[in-house]
Amino acid sequence: MPIRKVSSKATSKVTGTAAAAAAAADATTGATTGKKSLLQRLAKSAGSPVVFAIIVIGLGVLPLLYSSGAIDSTAMIIFSGKCIALAILAIGIDLIWGYTGMLSLGQGLFFALGGYCMAMHLKMVATGGNITEFMHTGGLSELPIIWRPFLTFPATLVLIIVVPAVVGGLVGFFIFRNRVKGVFFSIISQALTWAAFSLFMATSPWTNGNTGITEIKSVFGSIRGDANLDHLYMLFYVSLGVLVLVFILATLLTRTKFGKLLIAIRDGENRTYFSGYSVSRYKNTIYVISAVLAGIGGALFVNFNGSISPSVMTISYSIMMVVWVAIGGRGTIIGAVIGTLLINFGEYTIASGSMIQAWQFIVGGIFVVVILFFKGGIVGIFTSQLPAAWRWLQARLGGRGQGKGADQGAGGQLAASQAGSSADAEVG
Amino acid sequence: MQQVIGVLFNGLSLSSILLLTAVGLAITFGLMKVINMAHGEFIMMGAYTTFVVQQLFLSFAPGAFDLSYLVALVAAFAFTFLFGCVLEKLVISRLYGRVVDSLLATAGISIILQQAARSIFGERGVNVTAPSWLSGGISLGGVTFSYNRLFIIMLAVLSLVLVVLIMRKTKFGLQMRAVMQNRDMARCMGINSRRIDMLTFGIGSGLAGLAGCSVALLGSVDSTVGQLYIVDSFMAVVLGGVGNLVGTVFGSSIIGFSSIGIETGLSSADIAKCLVLLIIIVFLQFKPQGLFAGRTRQLDE
Repeated sequence: MPIRKVSSKATSKVTGTAAAAAAAADATTGATTGKKSLLQRLAKSAGSPVVFAIIVIGLGVLPLLYSSGAIDSTAMIIFSGKCIALAILAIGIDLIWGYTGMLSLGQGLFFALGGYCMAMHLKMVATGGNITEFMHTGGLSELPIIWRPFLTFPATLVLIIVVPAVVGGLVGFFIFRNRVKGVFFSIISQALTWAAFSLFMATSPWTNGNTGITEIKSVFGSIRGDANLDHLYMLFYVSLGVLVLVFILATLLTRTKFGKLLIAIRDGENRTYFSGYSVSRYKNTIYVISAVLAGIGGALFVNFNGSISPSVMTISYSIMMVVWVAIGGRGTIIGAVIGTLLINFGEYTIASGSMIQAWQFIVGGIFVVVILFFKGGIVGIFTSQLPAAWRWLQARLGGRGQGKGADQGAGGQLAASQAGSSADAEVG
Repeated sequence: MQQVIGVLFNGLSLSSILLLTAVGLAITFGLMKVINMAHGEFIMMGAYTTFVVQQLFLSFAPGAFDLSYLVALVAAFAFTFLFGCVLEKLVISRLYGRVVDSLLATAGISIILQQAARSIFGERGVNVTAPSWLSGGISLGGVTFSYNRLFIIMLAVLSLVLVVLIMRKTKFGLQMRAVMQNRDMARCMGINSRRIDMLTFGIGSGLAGLAGCSVALLGSVDSTVGQLYIVDSFMAVVLGGVGNLVGTVFGSSIIGFSSIGIETGLSSADIAKCLVLLIIIVFLQFKPQGLFAGRTRQLDE
């Protein structure tokens, strides 16, 4: 958070009242607060990598837990694999929404594009390059041209990146050049996904319509059953590796000038225009990046899921993706990962049997509350709301014991922290 | 000739359904700048209200069953109106000026409402019986105009006229337009803007309830019935120009007629839907503000 960094560094220079009061508070309350702010500063810079490392280790030991007998079925590992794929997609959503302020309700489209690319290749592997049954039923006698490139694995890998990138680039080029923004962008992205959904349903000889592409194995072969455990582990660790890579690259991206410009666009689009930056080009670039991430997520997801259907392009699914990011904490890469894992694992554990009904109420309810009161999501609670509450509490308790000076100082610090957190909360 | 008239009638019918679903949106989205993603679920609530009223009539007054649909119209409007008012008080009123957040919060509401419908009425769709005075139709020159479609067209026109009358001729409408144009100034003139907001959102929701009543006549009702119409309705409002009722009429007509036209030409409803949406998206590239946009020199709305 650049805003935070500036305010903490500039306390001695800036002559704003809140900053001055905070400096005074540091001086009056003495060593304890000084230490705390150092600790907080450390937590702020190192917090997200540490949390991410914990998550990665937690996911990484799952196969070991199964080998040692702590988990009694591979379903948990397969499910975690899907969550990893979805987390990659969520990082993409966070980049365009949390950082750049463009709410796309159509990420399901790119997820499906990547997923279908992978699924088509895997289907070709399964049929040995022959035409599939649904093509027969649809009246095709030989393999359609759009399926040909998926006969080879390297071409498929390239297409998984290229197809979402080209579609996203084309759509973005027109949308952003014409300065369609805000909710209009959201509605158009949603309509686009709905259009793609209809298209996939209509062209069933090529895509198998409503059913989608089923009966496929992963790129490493079948992952079901104990005999194929090494395939599953390989796939799982490759996916985890991709997630780590994406996380690192995304974090680095947000620290470059490009990343700062994205935040500038979010907070003041016209100001960024007037400063001489080609906003639409930046927007288009980040849109393509997020589309590619969604495509990669989709491709990994298919490997674990063993099928893909147009249902990933429904409106509700795309909204659900946004829900993960919102609950985790928009505007922080780690928030997207936390939200995705938490909601999906929550669904996995809670939504079995009779609780499946309650789960939708819980998710919907949490989502509304987060939007209304906790704009920073879970990450925001830990980085701004809890510290603010703690300082408020400290001010109340400390103020009585230590007298007037400390009371004023702590009050000033509270004001400063609130100013900081409200600046932080201006996300989206 | 017969086929042309048939296509035109179907187009008119689809347009009127879209208009019914979009008028409510035109009020909440166009006037209040609130993106109500739960609008589709209000449509669903209206449809289920119709079902419940019919069931009540069947068990308590089977003789008066033909009246049930009229009662259902009133009940659906009243129920969704009240629900809309409550929702505005609890959620929407905290989100004015945060357009994207209003979209997300109402999306959360929509998740909850869909699950509520599944919990109460089950996964499978329920069917609403059309009253006897709406079954059948008149044949003119070899084309059958079914009564329920004619009724929906009438209902759409009626609700549009009512909305225009309320907005143009009543004191409430005047206050409503004042608040939507300049909230602070309106409050300075002594208008209770919170009350106006609540009632306006309520009316928008009530209209969705009415739309739900008519949608129930056309097919079975399940928890996802609203999702079928929501994208098209949003596109109708955006295409026509946000905040413009005439634009909404044009928007829904264009979508309605072109969908039916392409569907007849290519004999695939899915392709038609895809093409129409793509055409509109391309069109919006050239006129991002829609067909009837109010002129503005403002940079940020």
